[in-house]
Amino acid sequence: MQAREFLVVGKKVARVDALDAVLGKPVYTADLIAEKPLFVKAVRSKLPHAYVKGIDFSKVEKKQSVRKIITHRDIPGVNDAGSLIPDRPLLAVDKVRHIGEAVALIVGDTVEDAEEAAELVDVYYEPLPVVSNPREAVKPDAPRVQDRDNVVTHFKIRKGDVEKGFRESDTVIERTYKTPFITGLPLETEIAYAYPDGDGRITCISSMQNLYDVYNKVLKILGLPAERLRVVQAATGGGFGPKSDETPIDVAAYACLATYFTGKPALSAFTRSEAMTVQCKRHAFEITNMVGASRNGRLLAWKSTLFEDTGAYISKGHLVIGRATFHCTGPYEVPNVWADGFCVLTNNTMAGSTRGFGAPQAHYAAEMTMNELAEELGLSPLEIRELNMLRSGSLTATSQKIEDDGLLQCYRRAVESSEWERKIRVFQEFNKNGSSYRKGIGIALLYHGNTLGPEGDDFATVLTRVERDGRVFVQTGLTEFGTGALTSLVLVTAETLGLPPRMIQLERPDTAAVPNSGPTVASRTTVIGGKAALDAALKIRAAVASVAARLLKTDAAKLDFREGFIWSSSGISLAWEEAVRQCYEEGVELKALGHYIAPPTRWDPETGQGAPYNQYTYGALVAEVTVDMETGFVKVDRMTAAYDVGRAINPLGLIAVYEGGSIMGLGYALLEEIVHDDGVVLNPNLHTFIIPTATEAPDKIDSIIVEVPGPMGVFGAKAMGEIPVVLPAAAIAGAVANATGVYIRELPLRPDRVLAALRQRKET
Amino acid sequence: MRVGLKVNGVNYSLDVEANERLSDVLRTRLGFMGVKEGCGVGDCGLCVVLMDDKPINSCLVLAYQADGREIQTVESLSVAGKLHPLQKAFIDVGAVQCGFCIPAALMVLKHLLDTNPSASSEEVRHALRSVLCRCGSYLRFLEAFEAVRKR
Repeated sequence: MQAREFLVVGKKVARVDALDAVLGKPVYTADLIAEKPLFVKAVRSKLPHAYVKGIDFSKVEKKQSVRKIITHRDIPGVNDAGSLIPDRPLLAVDKVRHIGEAVALIVGDTVEDAEEAAELVDVYYEPLPVVSNPREAVKPDAPRVQDRDNVVTHFKIRKGDVEKGFRESDTVIERTYKTPFITGLPLETEIAYAYPDGDGRITCISSMQNLYDVYNKVLKILGLPAERLRVVQAATGGGFGPKSDETPIDVAAYACLATYFTGKPALSAFTRSEAMTVQCKRHAFEITNMVGASRNGRLLAWKSTLFEDTGAYISKGHLVIGRATFHCTGPYEVPNVWADGFCVLTNNTMAGSTRGFGAPQAHYAAEMTMNELAEELGLSPLEIRELNMLRSGSLTATSQKIEDDGLLQCYRRAVESSEWERKIRVFQEFNKNGSSYRKGIGIALLYHGNTLGPEGDDFATVLTRVERDGRVFVQTGLTEFGTGALTSLVLVTAETLGLPPRMIQLERPDTAAVPNSGPTVASRTTVIGGKAALDAALKIRAAVASVAARLLKTDAAKLDFREGFIWSSSGISLAWEEAVRQCYEEGVELKALGHYIAPPTRWDPETGQGAPYNQYTYGALVAEVTVDMETGFVKVDRMTAAYDVGRAINPLGLIAVYEGGSIMGLGYALLEEIVHDDGVVLNPNLHTFIIPTATEAPDKIDSIIVEVPGPMGVFGAKAMGEIPVVLPAAAIAGAVANATGVYIRELPLRPDRVLAALRQRKET
Repeated sequence: MRVGLKVNGVNYSLDVEANERLSDVLRTRLGFMGVKEGCGVGDCGLCVVLMDDKPINSCLVLAYQADGREIQTVESLSVAGKLHPLQKAFIDVGAVQCGFCIPAALMVLKHLLDTNPSASSEEVRHALRSVLCRCGSYLRFLEAFEAVRKR
């Protein structure tokens, strides 16, 4: 539609929700509780794998302050809280399969009453053997986690003839890399508030990403008809994937069940340690890459084996392994690829959606492999990437043809802006100075298949209406949880209607008001939701244009909507408000449901060959580090981040996402690990699971916006919400290798691990 | 027990339980919802308010311990509809992502601005260290502080 220059898109605009945030307005779930609600607390398993032989409630069932005890027998509908695969009961039936699994619910008068009572419930367990390592879990004699094979998915890529590729290679290396469980850790823990709203309906206000996932699952758990439940998303204090996954279903179901049984308002909220134990985590991976190249550095063969630990329930593990395996070669062209990705059940806590969805693990392994291969070949990290990166016309690991040079542009901008060549010289000089510090620089590249692709139905809906006074209201089932994507929908609407953004207001996602818009995941809100917002705005514009054209005595097609006016080609204008008022006079409806569905993607499940994604985001990240050789402490001094975002809808928002994702990724690189010991989570708290603070943030992150419009997203936009978290571990580990000569093949790069690696190198 | 608190310039007198936390009193009794809770044990800093002009974790202070003290929450920053310069700077530099840590970050920086307006970047980071931001807006916070200091 874009005939003219953008007026709003790409300009510096404040986020629509920023004012509420700086004023501390009551917009989050905990702020919106009207009455003193009952509180629901889960009794959670203290063992990672056991039969539940009995539950003794005798110490609590006579307590006045305990209003209801709920076990699996009491669930009126279906006892299933699995988000896509119905493998996880909301409340355990005869077995628990991970630590912290809910076995019963206590509804108490207050949080203290419920917590105290939950402690007094005696659950009798008969312990079962625990399997907590996927390499063990795949063995035929391993304990079974569920009533099925522990291998959930065997995901394959078969391209060319990998054996021939290795035979023709002059250099072949094989390396294994390990990545830990981490938690996405939204700072607002899971919370839901339910109340009877008077029409025999339960309303549930909650913190979440996926409005309709929560609605559909809770409806089934309650066994109610559709009109008896309403779910509203409150402002949400961080998403990062876990809030799109299964624990928001749990907490909403807890609150709704309490209201269902008592008829009273009920709150359920996770403590921090509860959230860190049961919240869906980033999958731990073990990735082995065997890679062959010609003498001059061209990749000839790539074989990857990926073991993904999805914990005791599948959640999104079967999809995460797909994304990881699709991206296992990194953004490089390899003629012969063989990859086997295994999603494996263990008795660890459940892993699922976490920002990046398998890409950070795959890219860490791929980029480290490229660095190690470069060293074997006597090439620099830049040379090997220039030789092999995906360019226009290249074929990916799935033989999908790349149509543009977005990656090359990101690479060039990042190398140039970071002053790579000069830094290499300066750091080499610095490292001769005899101090215990070494400086290094590393680079990592990515491509990231956009939106859901093979992972689900990639559609969105946006409802837009215009009030009599000209104000525009936008509402959708897609949610805001920090990335600023709903501001993008406002900007797309403002652009299309030629209005200043302040004329557009967002309304809360609410199942009573808007239809399903799919999940708010896979960085798809701006890209796909933007198309639906555009569709709705175009429908509104067409309705207004039909009236305005008559008043302006011109063709509707010739009208230009800009700056709050509707212009004819001869320069006569009509104020937006005036046109809207006239529409109301004439009964022209100014309410439209915008819809978009992405083109289906196709690939062969036996070979992985095809086009699994409609478009790709590209990126290049340069990290500069200082390593203290005596303590093993790594400091990230600077990052240079260049991403091809297709079209920058909201540049100010992009900067925050670039920087924030880089810092979150820095935590993954250096600090974060949820430690399971035989299935038991050892560090479910913020004093032993350390995330970056302001002092760990780099001195500077140089954010470079590259715009090579993609074929699918709104105005050419590409997915960005998750992407900046993908590369930091790879780039930082590369920089540490550059500084020390040591490749550390396991995350995070904790001081003890760095020291051990340095020591090992000295010995050999 | 009865305690007297001055919150955002207004005197309150109220009965509290001995184990009632200041953060809960501020939120649920007095309605200052800008006070957030992220952990309840002093790790995350989302409940930071100023007590007698110093930042404290209000989840670690019992309400009776605040008897006779003066508390400032984020709700005190904007006066008569006019934003505090830090609030405006937060919006202008794009510091807000999920928003959950913003009130605490603002109060920490307000304290720093009042006590050490020429704070170095290192000092700003050190002050902010007490507030976790999982969205990673730290460099935005620094830029906002810088923008306000320059004026």
